[in-house]
Amino acid sequence: MIEGTVKGFLGTPASFGADLNLTVQLIMGLALIGGAFLARAKRYAAHGVCMTTVLVLNLVPIAIVMLPSFAQLVVPELAGHLHKRFYLVASVHGALGAGAELLGLYILLVAGTNILPEAWRFKRWKLWMRVELALWMAVLLSGIGTYIVWYTPLLRP
Amino acid sequence: MKSYIGTAVFCVGLFGAVASAIIHGGPIARAAEQKSAAQSVSIDNFSFTPKEITVAAGTTITWVNRDDVPHTVVSPDKKFRSKALDTDDQFSFTFTDAGTYSYFCSVHPTMTGKIIVK
Repeated sequence: MIEGTVKGFLGTPASFGADLNLTVQLIMGLALIGGAFLARAKRYAAHGVCMTTVLVLNLVPIAIVMLPSFAQLVVPELAGHLHKRFYLVASVHGALGAGAELLGLYILLVAGTNILPEAWRFKRWKLWMRVELALWMAVLLSGIGTYIVWYTPLLRP
Repeated sequence: MKSYIGTAVFCVGLFGAVASAIIHGGPIARAAEQKSAAQSVSIDNFSFTPKEITVAAGTTITWVNRDDVPHTVVSPDKKFRSKALDTDDQFSFTFTDAGTYSYFCSVHPTMTGKIIVK
């Protein structure tokens, strides 16, 4: 849960952990866009370092902030409350996020290692990486949406 | 004449019985008792209302979440802690000892409240 006794710094009722997580995610999103431009400039080594760093670093907030939050606040109420936007937006974000992180790890294994057998390795690099970047941006947007629904009393009907 | 007196006695008796029931054990008295023994705090629009409340020892406070997002009611010194309260969920705690009890929502730490028990 993005719980805590320390108040956040973005001027909403959110905790410090929630504000820090949003800020880190926005920085990571910008880093991924920067990484895409590195590939466009054919600086593939720098591109690989940038994307891998973001992908692996993102496992930390997933493990200590987002996953516990989802398990504690959303999962117990999910069965009968998915129509409520609090649960819906978090579930969409969680599903897209899980997909983006797993796809990213798969791409990392294919592009950065020789662990996977030939049959499991893709050839169309640009397609897979563009799909991953688009998915990540969708995750980022749904994450911003989750923050707004969970933590801002403004913009309510 | 006798019938008038009988009717008057009956009416006075009925009035007295009704008045006695209302004063000593009727709905008004019961409501007053309930009011003194239990109080509620509403959670709405990311705030506790009333934010501060003074009650007698032994009072049970019930928090009701009227908001459309879950909130919690947590004592920083771990005297009480609710689960995540969804819309219309309630959490109750009985304050047996005098003192000042601060609490907050752990999901939204800017939401704070205080119970003063005398």
